[in-house]
Amino acid sequence: MLEATWRAMHGAVRNTLTSVGVYGYYLRDIVRSTRETDTWPRETIRQMRVIGVESVILTIIVAAFLGGVTAFQTRFQLFPGVQVSAVGLISRQSIVLELGPLLTALVLTGRVGARMTAEIGTMRVTEQIDALETLAYDPVAFLSLPRVLAALVMLPALTMLANTAALVSAWLTLILATDVRTIDYVEGLRIAFTPFQVVYSLIKATCFGGAIAFVCSYQGYIAKAGAEGVGQATAKAVVITSVSILTLDAIVAAIFAPFVQA
Amino acid sequence: MKRRDEVLVGLMLIITVVVGVAGTVWLARGGLSSGYPMYALFPWGAGLKNGQPVLLAGVNIGFVSKVELVPNGTLLVTLAVNNEYKIPTGTTASVEPNGIFGDQLIALSPKLLVTTYLPERDTIPTGKGSATTGQVLSKADSVAAEAQTIIAAVRAEFVTDGGITEIRKAITELSALTSQLGTIATEQSRELSATQRQLRATLAAVDSSVVDSTLRAFRTSSANLAQLTGDLEKTRAQVSSILFKVDSGSGTAAKLLNDPVVYARMDSLLLRLDALVADVKANPRRYINLRVF
Repeated sequence: MLEATWRAMHGAVRNTLTSVGVYGYYLRDIVRSTRETDTWPRETIRQMRVIGVESVILTIIVAAFLGGVTAFQTRFQLFPGVQVSAVGLISRQSIVLELGPLLTALVLTGRVGARMTAEIGTMRVTEQIDALETLAYDPVAFLSLPRVLAALVMLPALTMLANTAALVSAWLTLILATDVRTIDYVEGLRIAFTPFQVVYSLIKATCFGGAIAFVCSYQGYIAKAGAEGVGQATAKAVVITSVSILTLDAIVAAIFAPFVQA
Repeated sequence: MKRRDEVLVGLMLIITVVVGVAGTVWLARGGLSSGYPMYALFPWGAGLKNGQPVLLAGVNIGFVSKVELVPNGTLLVTLAVNNEYKIPTGTTASVEPNGIFGDQLIALSPKLLVTTYLPERDTIPTGKGSATTGQVLSKADSVAAEAQTIIAAVRAEFVTDGGITEIRKAITELSALTSQLGTIATEQSRELSATQRQLRATLAAVDSSVVDSTLRAFRTSSANLAQLTGDLEKTRAQVSSILFKVDSGSGTAAKLLNDPVVYARMDSLLLRLDALVADVKANPRRYINLRVF
C-alpha cells in the first residue's frame, strides 16, 4: 500500500517534470527557430490576420455584452448613498484590469487555440511535418514561431479593442437603461485612472496570447496518430491553456497589482 | 493575398494603437485639450487623487489632474478646468466627501455678484470644507458607544434588576384594577339607571293639582309663619324691654327681683307663713271656728 502510493507519487512528479522539460525543449526550439528569417516572417503576417483580424468581430461582440452586463449589474447592486459615478469606476476597473483581457483570452482559446492545435495536429498525423523536416524546413519556424509571435502581438490589440468596446457598451447600457448620466459615467471612468492600468491590461493580454499559442501549438505538434489523437490533443490544449491563463492571471496580478493603484 | 493580409493586420494594429492611446489620454487628461490648469493647496491626508471631480457651485467644471506632495505638509493639487468655465474672484476651494465610501471631490464656492475672474494657473484660496467621512464615522462611533452604554444601563435596570418583571406585575395589577373599576362603573350605571327609572315613575305618579294645592297651602303657611315670626319679634322686643327694665332695677318687678331687702322681707314672710301653717295644722280650732247653726 505504502509502496504503491510512493510509486504513484513518484510517477506523478516524474511526469510533471518531464512535461516541464519537453515544454522547455519546445521553447528552446522556438527561440532557435528565430534564425530562420526566410521562413517565419510571412507566415507570421498570415497568422496575425487569422488570430487577430478574423477574431475582431467575435471579440467585440463578447466584450459588448460583457461591458453592458457589468455596468447594468453594478448599477443595480449599488445601495442608496453611493455616488452614481461609482458605476463608471467599477466598470472600468473590472473591464480593464480583469474581465477584458481574461475573457478575450478565454474566447480566443476556443476559437484560435483549438484551431491551431487541430491544424498542426493534422499536419503531424498526416506526416506533413515529417515531410517539412525531410525538405530541411524547420517545422517549428514555420508552424510554431509565427503563431506565437502573432498571438503575442494580436492578443493585446484585441484586448484593447475589447476594453474599448466594453466601456462603450457599458456607457450605452447605462444611459439607455438606467438613471446614470453620461457625466456621471465619465466622472467615474476618470476617478483614480492611471495609464499604467492600460499597460497592465496589455501585459496580461501578452502573457495570455503567448500561453495560447505556445500550449496549443505544442499540443498539436505532439498529437498522436488518427482523428482521435487530434481530437484529444485539441481538448487537452484548450484545458491546459485555460488553466494556464487563469494561473498567469493570478501571477500577473500578484506582481503588478501594487503598481496599478492610483 | 499576402499584401492584403499585411494591409488588414496593419490597419487593425493602427486602429488599436490609436484607440488605445486616445482612450488613455482622454481618461487621464480629459482629451488633448484638457482645459486650463488651476491650483489649490490642501493639507496632507485630504484623500485626493487623479480624476476626482471639481465642482463650481455644484456644477462639474473639471477634474483633478495631478496631486503633488509638498514637504511642508501640503498637497499641491492641479485642477484641469474646462475652457468654457471661469472661476470668479474670491472663490474658495474645499475638499468635500463624495458619497459614503470615502471618495472626495473639490468644491469651489464662488462669491455672489462678482464679475472678475481668476487668471489661468492661479491658486485658488482654500476654504473650510464640510465634515469628512472619517469625521462623520468617528462621530457615529461615539454615538454608538453612548448608545451602547445606555442600552447596558437599561438592560441592567430592566432585565438584571427585575424591572421588567415589576412592570409586568404593575401592568397586571393595573389591569385587574381597571377590571374592578369597570365592574363598579357597570354596577353604578345600573343603579343610576334604576334610580332614574324610579324617579321618573315617581314624577309621573305625582298629581299636578295636588301639588298646586300643596304649594298654595305651603304659601299660606309661609305667610302665616311670617306673621307669626313678626308677632314673635314684637313679643321678643317687649320681653327684652321688660328684662331691660328688670335688669336696670326700675319698676316693681325689678325691685322684686333685685332688691335684697325685698328678698329678706319675702324670706321672713315665708318663714312666718310656714310657722303659721304649722300652727294652723297643729291648732286648727284656734283659727277655724266653724259653727253650723
